[in-house]
Amino acid sequence: MTIPQLLVDLLQLLFDLAVPGAICTMVLAGVALRQEGGVNFEAGGRFQRWMLWSVILLTLPQFLAWFAAQGISVPPQTAGVSGPWLMGMETTFKSFVTDVVVGRLVPVLAAFFVLKAALDTAQGQSPLGSVVSAMFLLTVSTSVRLMQGWNSGSTFGTTDMLASLWNFLAGTILPEAAGLAVVGAVISYSRQRPVMPLVASALAFLSVSALWKLVQAMVG
Amino acid sequence: MFENGILNLTNWAGNVIMPTLAGLFIAGAIYRFSKSLPYSHLSWAAMAALMCSGLLRVLEAFAQQAGANDPDRYWISLLTLVNWVGNVLLPIYGALQVAIMVAHFAGLLERMNIGEAWVRNLVTAMACFSVSGLLRLGEFWIANGTAGVR
Repeated sequence: MTIPQLLVDLLQLLFDLAVPGAICTMVLAGVALRQEGGVNFEAGGRFQRWMLWSVILLTLPQFLAWFAAQGISVPPQTAGVSGPWLMGMETTFKSFVTDVVVGRLVPVLAAFFVLKAALDTAQGQSPLGSVVSAMFLLTVSTSVRLMQGWNSGSTFGTTDMLASLWNFLAGTILPEAAGLAVVGAVISYSRQRPVMPLVASALAFLSVSALWKLVQAMVG
Repeated sequence: MFENGILNLTNWAGNVIMPTLAGLFIAGAIYRFSKSLPYSHLSWAAMAALMCSGLLRVLEAFAQQAGANDPDRYWISLLTLVNWVGNVLLPIYGALQVAIMVAHFAGLLERMNIGEAWVRNLVTAMACFSVSGLLRLGEFWIANGTAGVR
């Protein structure tokens, strides 16, 4: 049976909006990150779920290709939306995400997080959570581009991207965060608070890959 | 990029803010000394604040004793930390204790701490007038220390 052109166009519209949609879910992930502490996330929490949705949206063709490989009929992608009305909707949504969300809304949200960092400090709490969340929000579009570069293009593109994300966190972000742990340890020492958790975590930040291998060896 | 943001935040906190706060830690140490309160944690914190970068390099050196994917990496880094504390820091601390022992045996510290409040006031006043110099002295020791033990 031939699928009507309007439905084909609608499906293509949804495919085309996957990347702008991923940017939106990344923004929501940034807000959820602050809600969950800013420097940590809850297992199964909102940050984790929004990040998973971002990865799924960025690898939607590969994700559906896996189902197609199992014999499930998946509508084919076309070159683009042919109807002018739907094309207009697509252009409008993309412009909204680029000009309004990324260009104006996200910097304002990040600025509010910086404001919150100052207020957190006034309450005697660490400003780090709000500052890290603000950085996460300000770099949403570049992070999406970085994640697109991790798309292996295979039917396991989604899990490959998640693995690359883990490698990025373990190999790049956490070794840099070790420096912040040292700063935190010095401040804790000056306030006569426990230092060893921060020293031990700084060493752990520098050896996350090795700890992963250790756990694998333990269960192997 | 997010990576650059975290890197710059770490550099700013470790190399700009903490050395600046070192002056505040020294001021706090002087004030607590004048009130006969424990002050050593603040003076050591001032030294540590001046060498955040070096402390991170030390931890990196501990972690790099084994390969990035070696399951024993964390254990070896902890072992190196323990060795460093046991074989480097404790001998220095021991030498310091010997110096203090001599000072105690000579009765120097008793004269300064017990019943002789004017000495404490004098030392506090001198430290207050030379806080900048004390900070420069700490910086000099640390800058010298980057060349290693000679």
